[in-house]
Formats: sequence, structure tokens, C-alpha cells
Amino acid sequence: MFVRRKAITKAGKLGVVLLAALGLVMDPPVAQAEYGDVVINNYSDAAGMRPVIFPHWFHRVRFRCKVCHADLGFKFKAGGNEINMVKIIDGEYCGACHNGEIAWSVENCNLCHSAKPGTPTQVHESTTQRLVSPSAPAKQ
Amino acid sequence: MKTNPIILAGIIFGVLTGSAMTAEPSRGKAVYESNCIACHGTGVAGAPKVGDSGRWSVRIKSGMAALYASAIKGKSAMPPKGGNPALSDDDIRATVDYMVAQSGAGKPSPAASTAKPAAAKGAAPVEKAEISRPDPVGAAVTTAAPLVPPAMAASEVNRFNRLLMPVGRRHPPPAEDGIHDPSNDATHVLQPPLDAYTGFPPGPAGNGVDWVKTLEQGKIKPRYDRKDPNAAPVVMDLNIVREVKGSMPDVVYPHKQHTEWLDCSNCHPAIFIPQKGANQISMAQILLGQKCGVCHGKVAFPVSECRLCHSKKKPMGVAQTGKN
Repeated sequence: MFVRRKAITKAGKLGVVLLAALGLVMDPPVAQAEYGDVVINNYSDAAGMRPVIFPHWFHRVRFRCKVCHADLGFKFKAGGNEINMVKIIDGEYCGACHNGEIAWSVENCNLCHSAKPGTPTQVHESTTQRLVSPSAPAKQ
Repeated sequence: MKTNPIILAGIIFGVLTGSAMTAEPSRGKAVYESNCIACHGTGVAGAPKVGDSGRWSVRIKSGMAALYASAIKGKSAMPPKGGNPALSDDDIRATVDYMVAQSGAGKPSPAASTAKPAAAKGAAPVEKAEISRPDPVGAAVTTAAPLVPPAMAASEVNRFNRLLMPVGRRHPPPAEDGIHDPSNDATHVLQPPLDAYTGFPPGPAGNGVDWVKTLEQGKIKPRYDRKDPNAAPVVMDLNIVREVKGSMPDVVYPHKQHTEWLDCSNCHPAIFIPQKGANQISMAQILLGQKCGVCHGKVAFPVSECRLCHSKKKPMGVAQTGKN
């Protein structure tokens, strides 16, 4: 009886260890970037650059939504504006401010191109990120 | 995932008999783009994506009559007529025809049919075009990960239903936030969010900041014009009340707080037709990033904050049962 109980305990312990190990595998640390951080990876990976991170929180402290989304024509869709460096140096999209006058200029590549390589286009922590494209969650 | 009831139920179609109705293809396309695309364009909640010939061929094998019946009566996560009772049965049939035609297989003969893999390959670009064209503000299907599984794991559903609360919010600096590359020198130059949020009124969700109060209290002075720091917003103070089903409090939509940040053209007429009663809005759409969900759930406060919108009390109904 005693031996048997010991065996069960042993098996139980093993189970706990296994479950814990499984938990570690299944639940990697979740990215904790800010709500609304947009990762844009339309062309970056292919061009050997880090993807771009656009921090909404940083910009809304300084500008109302209208400035970018009405005046500058940014569509409400991550990756939907097909922004490239040509448009930016011609003063479109980010280039309307990131021109050395209103905000810092384009030679600071890595201030925008700062995401981990391979990070997919997303609005971090958005409902669509979880519901529509659950394979691209905020897990790294 | 294996036992996901949505997929399971989707596969088990009752085989019905009956000949297919002929219907106008353009009507089907229009109905699809205004109703069905939210789920069938994205594959959300287990819905077979239009263009996914693999998943459609299984359904087509059961016969068109079965497909029509499922669409009209509802099937697993899909409500009857996709949740729009205003549609006629003929509308639904036309729409099913359209979706089948777009999914790499023509309408099968009632006897037997098989979707050919070659047809499947041909259909893929069509599907992409269909999704990307009509709705620029629609659900964000990422370009980097086009091959998403059709339904999320059961555990994800439960986590989602717990009001989308994130685990352990702490606003780490960019180098520790999981998406910035810490090996990039410039990452360490970026402002940490908590540096900016000092003194901001706290909010329960999103950035942990109540942005409306932060603006009202003058803690931030975001420009209304890119160059002119003195430009003032055109604020419109008009509340719109939307009556909603059941015991949920009605929604009060305040133009004031929205026009502080936004221009009329941001929402009207593309997202909301500026006419009372002209806009069908559901929580499902919002969760998929449409209507209010274009911003709420992405950057404005998320849908976990039910009562910020559902804020107008109404008389409670009397329970019909359980009163002896």
C-alpha cells in the first residue's frame, strides 16, 4: 500500500513537472508593447531593414488624430498606406513632419526601423490582431 | 484545435436535396461585400474564407441545397442569414453562389463534384482582390502572415471573452517591450511610455491613460494643425443615442469628445453615413475592426470598457419565468 502510494506521488510529481514544462513551451512571454503600437512590415524584411514601429501614444500626445488621418491621408489600416522611403523624402506621410523642421529627419533610420526582424504588420494588442489573425499574436 | 466545435459543426452538413435557384451574380457580390465579408473574407470564427477552395470543396460536396439551407437557417457561429434578417432567401442563394464561384469551384452538379486543386490555385488572387478592394478600413489582415488558421484555439476564445484584459500591464521601455529590437542602438534612445504618462489621469484599459481627461485637463496640447500650434479644433457638441437590444444600456455617442481629436471626414461618410438610422452597427463588426472598431480596440479605448459607450439606462424588462 505504502509503496503504491509512493509510486503515485512520484507519477504525480512527474506530471506536475511535465505540465510546467508544457506550460513554458505553450506560453512564451507575451510582448508588452504599448496599446496601439503599429508595426509596419510591408517591405522592410525583404529590404533587409528592421520593420517600422509607429507609436500611436507618442504621436497623440503631440498631434490630434486629424492631423495624420485627415490632413495627411493616413488610412485607418496598419500597413494599408504602402508607405515607402520615396514618398517620405517627397514629403508625403511620415515625411510631412519628419523632415528636420517639425520632427527629426529621415537620416535617423533606426529610430523608426526599430522592430525585431520578422515582426509581422500589426496593431499591437488590437482586437483584430487577436480575432482575425491569431497566428500573428504579440508573442515573440 | 482538433475538437473545435465550430469547425466540426461546419463540416457536418446535412445533405438536402433540391435544385439550385438561378440568381443574379452582381446581387450576390453586393450582399457578400456588405454583409458576409466580415467573417468570410477573413476566416474569423471558423468561417470558411472565400477563395479557400480546400475548405469550400468539403461544403460544396454536400450540395448547394445544403449550403443554402445553412446560410438561411444559420450554422454554428453564423446566425441565420448571416445576421441580417432583411435579406431575402433569394439574396442568400445568390450570395452563396457568388462565394462558391469565388472559391475555386463552380456550382457542382447535384450528383457529385470535386474541387480540383488547379482551380484552387487560380482562385487565390481573386480572393485577395476581393478582400482588399472594397473596405479600406476593414479588418486588418496582415500582409506578413497571410496564412492564418481559420479559427483560434478554444483557450484563446476564453481569454478573449474575459474582456480582452491583457496580462500584467506594465508599460516597459521600448527595449523590453517585446517588439522593439534591443540590439538596435536607436531603440534605447526612444522615449519610454511611462516618462510621457507622468501626471496623466489613469484609465482602466488601453495605454492605462484616460486620454479624453488628459486632453480636457490640458495635460497635453496636441496640435490640430501640423504646423500651426494655435489652430483650434472645430468641436461639435451633439450626442447621438443608439437604442440597443435587450437589457444592455443604450449607447450614447458624444460628438464632442470625438471632434476634439478628429475631423468630420475621418468618419463621415466612409465609416458612418451621417443620417440617423442609416448605420447598422454590431459588436461583431466592432470586434472585427469595423465601424467604431476602426479605432476602438486599436488605439482608442478598447471594447472591454462596455459602459463607456453603453451608458444610458433604460427600464429593465420583467422576467417571464421563475416567478411561481
